[in-house]
Amino acid sequence: MDTVAAARTGVTGRARHRSAMRVPYWLMAPSLVLLALIVFLPMVFAFYISFTGLNQNTIGDWAHAPFVGLKHYVDGLSPKGPLAESFYTSIKASVVFSVATTVLILPLGVGAALLFHSRLRGRAFFRAVVLLPYILPTFVNGILWRLVFMNGSGAADQLLAAAHLASRDTFWLIGPRSLWALILADVWASWPFIYLMALAALQTIPGDLYDAATIDGASAIRAFRYLTLPLIMPTLGLAIALSTINHFNNFALPYVMFGPTPPDEVNVLPLNIYVNSFITFNFGLGAAMSVVALVIMLTPAVLYLRAARVGDTD
Amino acid sequence: MSQSTFTRRRFLQVAGAGAAAATIPEWLAACAQSGSGPSTSGGTPKPGNLSAFIAKDTAHPQAQAQLMAMIKAKFEQDNPGSTFTYDTYASAAEETTKLETSAAAQDGPDIFEFGSTLVPTAYATKAFEVLTDDMWNHIGGKKIFFQPQLTMSGPSTDKLIAVPVSGNPFAMVYNKTLFQAAGIKQPPKTWSEFVDAAKEMTNGSDQWGVSMAPADGFDPWHKIWLFVTQMGGQLMDSTGKKGLLDSKESVQACAFWLDWMAKYKIASRQFATFKGADEVRAFATGKIGMQVMTGPGGVVTWDSSPVAGQYEFTLGPTVPYGMSSLPPGGKPAQGFVSGQYWTIFKYSKNPELALNLIKVVVSPDIQYQYFKLRAQQPVVLETFTKYPDAKAGPWAALYDAELKAYPTPFFGSWGPLEVEVGKAINKIAAQIGLTGSYSMDDLKSELTQVNQELQATL
Repeated sequence: MDTVAAARTGVTGRARHRSAMRVPYWLMAPSLVLLALIVFLPMVFAFYISFTGLNQNTIGDWAHAPFVGLKHYVDGLSPKGPLAESFYTSIKASVVFSVATTVLILPLGVGAALLFHSRLRGRAFFRAVVLLPYILPTFVNGILWRLVFMNGSGAADQLLAAAHLASRDTFWLIGPRSLWALILADVWASWPFIYLMALAALQTIPGDLYDAATIDGASAIRAFRYLTLPLIMPTLGLAIALSTINHFNNFALPYVMFGPTPPDEVNVLPLNIYVNSFITFNFGLGAAMSVVALVIMLTPAVLYLRAARVGDTD
Repeated sequence: MSQSTFTRRRFLQVAGAGAAAATIPEWLAACAQSGSGPSTSGGTPKPGNLSAFIAKDTAHPQAQAQLMAMIKAKFEQDNPGSTFTYDTYASAAEETTKLETSAAAQDGPDIFEFGSTLVPTAYATKAFEVLTDDMWNHIGGKKIFFQPQLTMSGPSTDKLIAVPVSGNPFAMVYNKTLFQAAGIKQPPKTWSEFVDAAKEMTNGSDQWGVSMAPADGFDPWHKIWLFVTQMGGQLMDSTGKKGLLDSKESVQACAFWLDWMAKYKIASRQFATFKGADEVRAFATGKIGMQVMTGPGGVVTWDSSPVAGQYEFTLGPTVPYGMSSLPPGGKPAQGFVSGQYWTIFKYSKNPELALNLIKVVVSPDIQYQYFKLRAQQPVVLETFTKYPDAKAGPWAALYDAELKAYPTPFFGSWGPLEVEVGKAINKIAAQIGLTGSYSMDDLKSELTQVNQELQATL
């Protein structure tokens, strides 16, 4: 009897445990359904479109667009493909732009976070002011920087000429300098993101640690090197990964600054995809390029997840 | 060690996912098609709410609002119980995106306004009503319009989808004061005379014989089409399946235009970054001798600038550079058929009402208001007899230009061609902007590359 009761209790306990284990999944279910509808379904659809010849002739009956197999991937990725030059130029432009911007905003953001984390007169005011570039709509930012870099009449040329650093006739919106124009505009708009992330991480470090470091005779530089930096590193890692992905995905800024036919140096992948899809109506090719872009963008995300060991329980 | 056998459960999972992926488009398409409207028929339409998606007049937004209020009042008076609302787009990108989403979803405004070169693309989507003779007769018949305008309404006279509502004729505008100062008696008729006249007006620092906008989204193909047509060539073959951007005529056409900056030095190399609006502003300073293939869009700016009263429109040169007459096959084109068109969306629930609205818009009185309020050229012939000022003064040359306009090929793939021409020109113009020169090899290589890209989309 006791054995049977114990066995029954054991069975009931295991059932309860299993039931309890399911609760998180039920709680996540609404989010998962939304994710499937908003993210997964369009991704599957884009993947399907990338194998079709969907264009202006078939968009009215897009479900029956002709199947073209790997044509778009071959056209874009094969070194001798008709679109390979444009595609690889765009990948290079996007990688250079996203990495350079992230590298430049990192010290700016961390430096500003350290500055405004300290007890500074007017700290609240400055903390609000530095967010202004970040909250400015991207298209406004793009128009402003286009005006700044206008040949001859722009502020950049005027200032550089006044300082005898360059000719008043320096071109920023065409040729190789266009990359620097785009990077500068994006650095200005996006460095507060790193600042915000770094500031948030700094605020989680207990003050006791710094007191102990001071008692041990650590200088400010050593405290930063061996205390601050290791403790904010996980957050900074996430910020770097997100920032790289955001810059890689930036469409609005290059579009507003350079239009649909930009110089090669700033013909970033999102812009190339947009032009192919929505201006020349070649949706199949645009979808294929999007799939490749997705694979490229997964790289920093996977690297970050592996480095941070997200998901590890031990 | 992981198990690599393909179990029945795994097979069902994979098969299920595959089936779902295959049926999703069908299912979504079925959802999209569920709301398709009735076909157009004659008779008095039931009252309804009509919507239109039209181009924003960024130069005269208040005048456009005033004009649309007049149209709305007249329409609602003629169609008791019906209402009319409209939304606007301010860029070509918005125009195409709305077209794409509406065609794919088979749901959208009752009426779309398109620029002439987007009508072929709209036709290709099969999302717009082909207008029958009865429908044309309902709005007054095809004969009431400037006949060249109808060449961009559809691929053939029995497949017209678009009703012209306003014209944007291209002509050459020149600064009379600079002409007089340089001792130039009359506007050039050939491109050789044009270059000579421009040289006379250029001082190489702040005064230039001509302006250009190679960084614009449209200007490059406008000019290249013009030169190629005059030389007897084409940018795309007559089937619309083969790009000819690397042909001898195309290379010559691009070289001639770019040489305004690089070889003849009649345009500043600073113009390498110019877009259309920059060109209009430059002419307004009074320091530019000529602006080629331009519409009436700059009139408002120029009339309130130092150049007011000093400019005049005229027909542009039609004989290629270095020639004294047109070569075999060459056409005396100096502009293409350009303007705005209204189309009826195939899935509109109010096609008869839409036709009634178009009837209001093409009435001579409203057409005159297009001219009076928005400086747009009317496209209905009676307007000019009823209101002669619509073709007086600077508008006389534009009227003439409209009659002599040539249609561009009616291909749905013309849009990609425009982009590819722009890409090649932008790149070489940038080279000129930076270094002052370019090489023919680079130009040929660029044109070969963009032609290859174009070909991949045809």
